[in-house]
Amino acid sequence: MNNHQLLSYETHGNCRVITDRSYTLGDGIMHAMIFATELRASQAHYPIFFCKDNETGTFYPAALFGFEQGENLYLENNTWSASYVPMIVERHPFLIGFKSQDGAADANRAPVVSIDMDSPRVSRENGRRLFNDDGQPSEFLGQSVQLLDAVHRGHSDNKGFIEVLLRYDLLESCTMDIGLVDGTQRKLLGYYTINESKLRELSGDILTLLHAGNYLERIYMVVASLSNMGTLIEKKNTRLQPDRH
Amino acid sequence: MKRPLKHVVIVGGGSAGWLTACILAAEHTIDAESGSFQITLIESPTISTIGVGEGTWPSMRATLKRIGISETEFFRVCNASFKQGTQFFNWIHEKDSGYVHPFTLPQSFAEANLAQPWQRSPNRIPFAEAVCPQLPLFEQHLAPKQISTPEYACHLNYGYHLDAGKFARMLRKHAVDKLGVTHLSAEVEQVNNHDNGDIASLATTAGTISGDLFIDCSGARSLLLGQHLGVEFCSQRHILFNDSALAAQVPQSSTEADIASCTLSTAQDCGWIWDIGLPSRRGTGYVYSSAHTTEEQAQTRLRSYIAATAGEAFAEQIEARKLNYNPGHRAKFWHKNCVAIGMSAGFIEPLEASALVLVEVAATEIADQLPANRQHMEHVAKGFNDNFHYRWESIIDFLKLHYVLSQRRDNDYWKDHSDTVSIPDSLAERLQHWRYQSPWHQDNRQTNEMFPAASYQYVLYGMGFETQPSHTQRRSDIKAEHLASGYFAENQQRSRQLLAMLPSNRELINKIHQYGMQTI
Repeated sequence: MNNHQLLSYETHGNCRVITDRSYTLGDGIMHAMIFATELRASQAHYPIFFCKDNETGTFYPAALFGFEQGENLYLENNTWSASYVPMIVERHPFLIGFKSQDGAADANRAPVVSIDMDSPRVSRENGRRLFNDDGQPSEFLGQSVQLLDAVHRGHSDNKGFIEVLLRYDLLESCTMDIGLVDGTQRKLLGYYTINESKLRELSGDILTLLHAGNYLERIYMVVASLSNMGTLIEKKNTRLQPDRH
Repeated sequence: MKRPLKHVVIVGGGSAGWLTACILAAEHTIDAESGSFQITLIESPTISTIGVGEGTWPSMRATLKRIGISETEFFRVCNASFKQGTQFFNWIHEKDSGYVHPFTLPQSFAEANLAQPWQRSPNRIPFAEAVCPQLPLFEQHLAPKQISTPEYACHLNYGYHLDAGKFARMLRKHAVDKLGVTHLSAEVEQVNNHDNGDIASLATTAGTISGDLFIDCSGARSLLLGQHLGVEFCSQRHILFNDSALAAQVPQSSTEADIASCTLSTAQDCGWIWDIGLPSRRGTGYVYSSAHTTEEQAQTRLRSYIAATAGEAFAEQIEARKLNYNPGHRAKFWHKNCVAIGMSAGFIEPLEASALVLVEVAATEIADQLPANRQHMEHVAKGFNDNFHYRWESIIDFLKLHYVLSQRRDNDYWKDHSDTVSIPDSLAERLQHWRYQSPWHQDNRQTNEMFPAASYQYVLYGMGFETQPSHTQRRSDIKAEHLASGYFAENQQRSRQLLAMLPSNRELINKIHQYGMQTI
């Protein structure tokens, strides 16, 4: 299956990580989870919806990159054509593992940095170095560790955000039929969005509560992000008919 | 006569009483302060509920949703599992015979009757398997939905298996805490009449309770409708002989053991054994005819069934609970200002789990047509009685159908069941009709039939009944045949997709306990 290893200078001193963005490097994804803390940065580039985790059925916010499985319309010439890349994508090939500390209970396990050695990003020749010659973590690795830390904290932020949305009945299912320039249709199923009419009906008291928890801003970030749907469709149409302008 | 109906008094606190209270209170807002409408449920602190009705129809999903219960909560509290149909063993022949009655309707049932094309297809596979994608899933104990499927929604139709005692307690809490039903823990000591013979009030150990409509959910003793108002009981023992049951609980072998997707019904020499899988235990029981066998023999049968499915050691220890009942129903169900729901109205036998669904249908009908006053009640009661006479007749015919189609003759029990004197005319006539025409929507005599034509198709063709081809060349048959191979293929395709995507019952129920289901 996967080949996750605890990161160490002894084992990974010569490893490098390729930071290009392409289908062959595993970036062919239709959407990615984003965290409540990165909604502001994400809404400038992507339409944001909510999806359900297949394993738990719980909701999470996600940035949409394409209209079918494996399609990422932000990938162009080995780069990602948006200035902000969601953390969950950016963190590859690193992930958080948990190390048991001498019989400590699960809750007390310490987060540790692991690396997926089967990731096509891991290389001996190309990419960014993980460790300097003196064995100290490189600047790149330092940034990656910070990113992992943010991802780790992001999960609990998301949980709180989703709880609030469900409590006030602010999510609704949306099925989208997208008509494309070549006359074909794409159907997006399993996505949820902010129920704007419910949002407008909220009382002042509840709005105050949402504002105090910093949820109101996040909700409107998601609402505003939907204007990127047009951009995404345009990207798709351009791929279908590059010369139509 | 025109005084508004303000107070409904329910007697009896089993699943029938509390389900009725919830259904009524979910529709009619209780306002105890102004007294404009209230519901009181009187529950005896000493009489225990019978608690055997542990299988529901898919209708229970809509009922629970309507009442306002979270399905996640229901699964967690009631030790519930998914019921996707019934698997029948040894009903056709004494050994090695079986068929399945799934809850999901045959493929494209609204537009095409696939019974005829199926009968004529070469190398035909069992009917249910040909027309319903659910069957291969049963073998693997798969769930009808995923954790991401919202509450009460599904990929495949399902009802529930549940712990009836826990179910009644959950409904009680919901009725009292959320819907404003008044709960009175007391014994009814005396029934007081108005001059016209209507019930005026009930004298209880906690005071006298007057009311406008009295709902008798007191179980088989039928305290108000039977005992007090003297409405006659119509025994159906001459048609359906079962009148005794031995019930026993078997723990699941482990917390990871497979949970069956269906109620398992295994025919025996003088009745049949039910087997209902819940997450923590299996409920089993032998329902039999006391005229054909003894309690001792029945014990032996049940023990050998448990030994075969749970091991000898366990079978030795079981303490089966004996239940006696008289199969039948009241001559009318609503008399004066009293209506009976649940076993107080009647009970035939657990086959096809019609007990709880009748409670749902009865309570929903009363909720939808709650009489405005005593005068209006006459009209509502008449319609209710007409509907329920028809429903009981349908149920009796449908249950009897299982026995009539059996080819077992190994015992007087089965021989007597096939004797024409035991077969109601209404069923005999329909069987004649089905010799020439397969069950179809036109058979429906009511818009709200208990059993759709699909149910008759599953039982008839599952049990080997043959409908003759039409004596004329029917264009509709040619058309159906033309479409049928496509439908059959589509069904297989759907089955394969579902096999790949659905979790096991155990896995999904564990996830429901851990994460809960979403409401959207």
